Amino acid sequence: MKAYALISETFLRKTSLRLVHLGWFLAYPPMFLIPSLPETWQWGCLVFAWSGCLLPVVLSAGIFGDDIASGRIRLVATEPIHLSELYIYRFLGLSLQAAAHLLAVAALILLLHWLTGRGSLDRFVSWILASWLIFNTWAALSTSLSVVVSRDHNSMTLVLATIIVFFPLYMLLLFFEDSLATRTYHAIVRYGCPPVEVLVGLGKYRLATGIASIAHSIGLTLLYGAVGIVLLKNREFKYAAD
Amino acid sequence: MSEDGSEMAPVIECREVTKVYGGGRAGRKASVCALDNVSWQVGGGTIVGLVGPNGAGKTTLLSLIAGLLFPTQGSIRVCGHPARSLDARRSLGYVPESPAFLSCYSARAVLKHHAALHGLSREAISGETERVLSQLRLEEYADRAVGGFSQGMRQRLALAVALLDSPRLLLLDEPSNGLDPIGVIELRRILSEVRQSGATVIISSHRLGELERLTSDYIFLHRGRIVKFGRDDAVAQTGRLRIEFLPGSPRLREDVLAPYDLAEESETHLVVAVNGIEDVPGVVGSLVKAGALLTGVTLEMQDIEETFVRLCQERAS
Repeated sequence: MKAYALISETFLRKTSLRLVHLGWFLAYPPMFLIPSLPETWQWGCLVFAWSGCLLPVVLSAGIFGDDIASGRIRLVATEPIHLSELYIYRFLGLSLQAAAHLLAVAALILLLHWLTGRGSLDRFVSWILASWLIFNTWAALSTSLSVVVSRDHNSMTLVLATIIVFFPLYMLLLFFEDSLATRTYHAIVRYGCPPVEVLVGLGKYRLATGIASIAHSIGLTLLYGAVGIVLLKNREFKYAAD
Repeated sequence: MSEDGSEMAPVIECREVTKVYGGGRAGRKASVCALDNVSWQVGGGTIVGLVGPNGAGKTTLLSLIAGLLFPTQGSIRVCGHPARSLDARRSLGYVPESPAFLSCYSARAVLKHHAALHGLSREAISGETERVLSQLRLEEYADRAVGGFSQGMRQRLALAVALLDSPRLLLLDEPSNGLDPIGVIELRRILSEVRQSGATVIISSHRLGELERLTSDYIFLHRGRIVKFGRDDAVAQTGRLRIEFLPGSPRLREDVLAPYDLAEESETHLVVAVNGIEDVPGVVGSLVKAGALLTGVTLEMQDIEETFVRLCQERAS
């Protein structure tokens, strides 16, 4: 019952979250109406970017920060639950929402593709799996950030941090592709940040590479989660409501 | 309550607790000492009033006991367990000053949610939820969204949450905020029931009159230090003895009342500060021996509010 209460709370905590799911879901059908859709258009890639990378940022907005700012955390944190449990169930709540969302999206895309024949379903299953994995990594990072960032600013912070990290990388790759600094920075971003680049190749190469990509993604998710749990356990919940 | 806690295992045990806020990195923020070397303990089945002016450290002390803050120095144990441990939190219920809930949840959903966090079974969750709804007389509002609740209703709901699973220790931070007079009476009734069940209640309140009706045990905090604590006969020990007499009585002040503080003096009356009813025969006897023709004697013991003001003035001076 404890798990159910905490997992369902991640979906029920704001009525707007239902609208977010609906809005994200309804964004897919209009894509099938684009007049000159290229033959190589991969529906899986769109799911990866739209639901895998952007949805977690919205769903996890203020997942701890809202409670901390409102003072609600003072009621929750005095209940007899481990703070690590609180974190894990909240993360699982997001992850399960993503799983349900992605399954529904996959069904919708398969149906529309069957009806219209537009675009490509190349590596579709791998893309859906990659979308769920990247969702989990972003969600863990955002949830951990929410422990220390006020209100729902964790999402905006994450977006800004992503721009700050990825834009220089893009510029470096554009102008100094072969320099040691570029290669070092690229490696740090590739393996230390949410593994967008790694998971984009899921299903494209050998099975071992795919398994390594999955393991890397899960490892990063666990690492981000562990940091969040440590932060939560060492956080004070002061009396002032924000 | 006892200073040495010798009679029974303490429900709360604070040892040399200091809490300093701020200081920050590189000392950019000035640090504030909210609690300074506070030690006290309280046994079971009592209601203790936590009294002090704004900024005295009342909320900090409650937050430390609840495990929401870490002490800078010292240690706190709740029912024998370190504060913030799972066992300590299992033993306590906490009502913050401004309780907040998920606004889209109904009162019943909030209670079921918190009951689930206690690890209860499905049947026990329903049973506990209905029990506290009934105890707080919230049945009428049980299915309304909490977002539409007034401050007083939120306080009642927070108290209902805190009472789930019958805690051994109840921490209440300004619980009567926003409550109407009937709500305050209800609160008194509930807290009396809680005390009768053997639980300990620590209640911080600015409504000293309300505290007086609930408890005779107090902790007076001032600038992070315990100024006084104990039962009211120890805390509110000063009183005012008003003595009326016929004009022309001998030089009373210098000769007779030298050991006492004289608060007021006129041709026909005196007001003397005394430490309790036991001082009255001595004062009156001395006056009669000195030849004063007394027409009336009235003893007014200080209530908790006056004691509070007096202690604050003493500390300030």
